[in-house]
Amino acid sequence: MNFKRKLKTGLFTVLMFCAGCLSIPETAFLPGAPEDLESCAALFPSGPWECVHKIEAVIQEGMSFFLLGITKGDPADRKLHTVLLTPEGFILFEAEQLEETISVLKAVAPFDSPAFARGLMEDVNLLFLPPQEGPSKWGRSADGAILCQWESPDGSRREISLSTVLKISLRDRHGDLVKEALLKTPFVKGLASQMELRAHKPAPYRLKMTLLSGTP
Amino acid sequence: MKKWAWNKTLSLCSAVAVAGLVSVMPGYSQDWASLKESFRNIQSVKAEFVQERHLQILKDPLVSEGRFFYLASGSLRWEYLSPIQSVMLQKGDSVRLYHFSESAWKQDMAQGVEARRMVLAEMSQWLQGRFEESRVFSYSYSQGPPGRILLTPGEGINRFILSIEIVLSDRPGVIDRVEITEPGGSATRIAFRNVEINASFPSKLFDEP
Repeated sequence: MNFKRKLKTGLFTVLMFCAGCLSIPETAFLPGAPEDLESCAALFPSGPWECVHKIEAVIQEGMSFFLLGITKGDPADRKLHTVLLTPEGFILFEAEQLEETISVLKAVAPFDSPAFARGLMEDVNLLFLPPQEGPSKWGRSADGAILCQWESPDGSRREISLSTVLKISLRDRHGDLVKEALLKTPFVKGLASQMELRAHKPAPYRLKMTLLSGTP
Repeated sequence: MKKWAWNKTLSLCSAVAVAGLVSVMPGYSQDWASLKESFRNIQSVKAEFVQERHLQILKDPLVSEGRFFYLASGSLRWEYLSPIQSVMLQKGDSVRLYHFSESAWKQDMAQGVEARRMVLAEMSQWLQGRFEESRVFSYSYSQGPPGRILLTPGEGINRFILSIEIVLSDRPGVIDRVEITEPGGSATRIAFRNVEINASFPSKLFDEP
């Protein structure tokens, strides 16, 4: 009896560990309306734009620093140009991206590592550039949220969920959440007035962004 | 050295501006002895400023507005009121940065506080007219009008700043603007207004945001 109890407890523990290793279950996509697809695309600027954001970067709770972020882009040419400045106006980082190629124009320590450049441009891509192709899946969730999902050849996924919360998520091939961005209305010239980007992997941080100016 | 260089340039926009603002440079004809004497007459400065940041990426400059308070005894409050509300407080060797966010002042963990301290030390030399002692800039005068002081950085800093020009106002002891030129066509222009020399203000301005 005692052995059976121990066995049950052991099996339960093993199952719990295994459950922790599993990817999150696939979201069920219920059929949506054709205009739902347009709603997903409307989250991103449709033409060339430039914008200035106030950014609070939170590395740990209670520890943050402030930056100005300038971003210019053209979704048709898959072009991005981004500059990070101190509030005094000193340029910390400047890079351009054309298609998949990132060119760092200026970077000062500690913003001068290739990993930082890749991570930052991934953030900018996630927030501003719509995926090139149509979504691999789209529809509605059980609670009525509009869902669009793009799957990359490497198995990573970009998801948009539109309900009372406007959310863009990036998941790795295991389904683990890498980054998610929450966008707040109103939209000004096609740009969200406030955004919060939460990075989970490989290092956690949060960027709280307030739109200061934007021109289409 | 590289980190020191960029950190040091981090605060130059504000530091140079303050230094320039309190520089009493009535004309090229003034000799160094009388110039230094005139520096000694300044005990405090209070002013507002408009900063234009010209960047190639932007069609229009990024405009910031703010104010500052300076005590010759070694205190400075350099404050941006818009678009980011932030303040740098210096009192003696202590330098702190704060930003206003979500209805509260938050201390900024940004790197460069140590560098700011070094810049402020450099600046205090300028405030005393000791340009020749600068480890970072060489200087030259142009009588004008308007009178101009051109600061040229040495090796290291010149990767970030090509020159700093302090343009003097007609009013003795007051400058009209500071222009900072960077490699790649970027520039910063800080124009001052409502400048008050030797005005009194509460010392708590340098203690809390």
